[in-house]
Amino acid sequence: MGLYQKISQLREFLEETLKILYYYKSRVAFSFSGVALGILSICVIITTIDGANKKAYEIFEALGPDSIIIFGGSERQRTARERLVTLTVSDADMLEKVGGVYDVLRVFSLRNVNMKYKDRKWQTQVAGGTENYFYSFKWGLQSGSFFSNEAYRDAEAECVIGAKVYEELFKGEKAIGRVILIGRLPTKVVGVLNERGGSAGGPSMDDRVVMPLTTVTKRLANEKRFLSVIRLKTNRDVDATIEDVKMVIRKNHGIPEGGEDNFTTRSSKDILQFVSVISGSLFLFLGTASIIALVVSGFVLANLFYLTIQERKKDIGIRRAYGATRKGILMSFLFESVIITIMGGIAGVLLSVALQGLFERLFGIPMEFSFKVVFFAMIFSLLTGVLSGLKPAMKASKIEPIEAIRG
Amino acid sequence: MIILKNIKKSYFIGERELSILKGINLRIHKGEFVILMGVSGSGKTTLMNIMGLLDTKTYGEFYFMDTRVEDLNDEALAGFRNRHIGFVFQQFFLLPYLNAIENVLIPIVYSDKEIRHPREKARQLLERFNLADRTHNRPAQLSGGEQQRVAIARALINDPDLILADEPTGALDSKTGGEIMELFRMLNEDGKTVLVVTHDPKLASYGKRLIRIEDGTISEDITT
Repeated sequence: MGLYQKISQLREFLEETLKILYYYKSRVAFSFSGVALGILSICVIITTIDGANKKAYEIFEALGPDSIIIFGGSERQRTARERLVTLTVSDADMLEKVGGVYDVLRVFSLRNVNMKYKDRKWQTQVAGGTENYFYSFKWGLQSGSFFSNEAYRDAEAECVIGAKVYEELFKGEKAIGRVILIGRLPTKVVGVLNERGGSAGGPSMDDRVVMPLTTVTKRLANEKRFLSVIRLKTNRDVDATIEDVKMVIRKNHGIPEGGEDNFTTRSSKDILQFVSVISGSLFLFLGTASIIALVVSGFVLANLFYLTIQERKKDIGIRRAYGATRKGILMSFLFESVIITIMGGIAGVLLSVALQGLFERLFGIPMEFSFKVVFFAMIFSLLTGVLSGLKPAMKASKIEPIEAIRG
Repeated sequence: MIILKNIKKSYFIGERELSILKGINLRIHKGEFVILMGVSGSGKTTLMNIMGLLDTKTYGEFYFMDTRVEDLNDEALAGFRNRHIGFVFQQFFLLPYLNAIENVLIPIVYSDKEIRHPREKARQLLERFNLADRTHNRPAQLSGGEQQRVAIARALINDPDLILADEPTGALDSKTGGEIMELFRMLNEDGKTVLVVTHDPKLASYGKRLIRIEDGTISEDITT
């Protein structure tokens, strides 16, 4: 048998299958949409987990693997909403002497500070940092400059604003050199930070104003003793450094042996762990949803096929009479089922691309599309098609031609 | 072409054996036009189904194209049907979702015969049966006579040696039925072996050989 004929046979077969699907289109639509939804969830899982991992890696990179963050209050105190500002300037001074520590950033932040430029108002957090703030965060500028050492020394009213704040107050206009009102303090904008995006699941890092620590403590808050956050960099092992840090602060805070810490330490490792917990719960939730969607649509598909087989007995008989083998009938039914689920799968993938924006807002995690997504989507579609089509197809293939024609 | 030796067929309904064919001896040669006649329940359709490799005998010897049929498995039987037999049924049995030309092409999908330009061949067959302007109509848009002519074109697309027709005029009025029988006569004159199963005595005159079945046995076999 020639190749030409093989191709022409295949063409007739494909055309016939499509016509059959079109003829039974309302039934096909049910299974098709079920599979599309299931595959959509699978695509969202994969891309979101990939996105979360990528994001986590970016944060890890940005923080530097050698960073340790310390903030006031224990985990329990934070949930109980007890007093959280417990870190002191003297803690920071002591920590500079801990072995391996080569950079200490002191931050005192104020939340929900009102700011104003012309008639535009915005409310956000003000972070008062030491001169090494931008170095510690590895954070660059899109325009202007960082505040100067002199501004820090003299507690001058200068600030560097985040991309989000720039967008809200200046809406694309020139910001450098302009004066905004922070609380009641007129402050000169000297720089605009690069956009950084949200930290995994948390608020956007771009929604903040950075000022010299001295200006915040002397002119905005009148705070001489306490700090909100201390960030360290170490050239020793991170976990070993954390042990030392805890010991120093506990001693400085006079916490007795066995007493509860009134502060919390975090390293980049914790952030990675946090992200993996998030993606784990996403996986669990969406994974369950998608498996249910696929199983249900698989059952629907199988049942509809059973119904059609009764209706198509004559169809099967005719094909058998004209030379279709049992295997041929089996394959053609299986093929129909797989075509439906593969088309559903393709629709699911396209849907996930189309709805990307929506999901990113919903989960707060960017989706990362890759070939892997398409691969898994197709595997799952194929599996659903074969598993749900197999039994009906086997039943169809067992029908004797004589029985089918007799009706 | 077909040799039947003492063919018996019975069904079991519970414990009770229901004998349909009670020892049929028959030879059908290439180029014959046979009318197989009998009343309903005489076993004529069962006999046709066995000769068409759609049903199996209970007892006896059956050779089709010099091959012992009981040696053939499902795949070989399907291949034999595809290569050698064209079926025509009382209810036409066209597939509702395919148009005329696609219905004619069904046997091609399962064929291993070398047929170049099958679509062109299907169109020519339909033209020959005065269906040139009906090639893209669905069965529901065709009259009974037109549907049966499409079915006959389908039976011919694969160049079979034998055409088996089971009550091909049963669902048609007598004028259209006569036209269909004329068509079979024409195909027979072209060299096809034709076997028509019917209960209608009026069709007897179309064939060259009349075989009468009564109660599972051949009661008359006349060659005119």
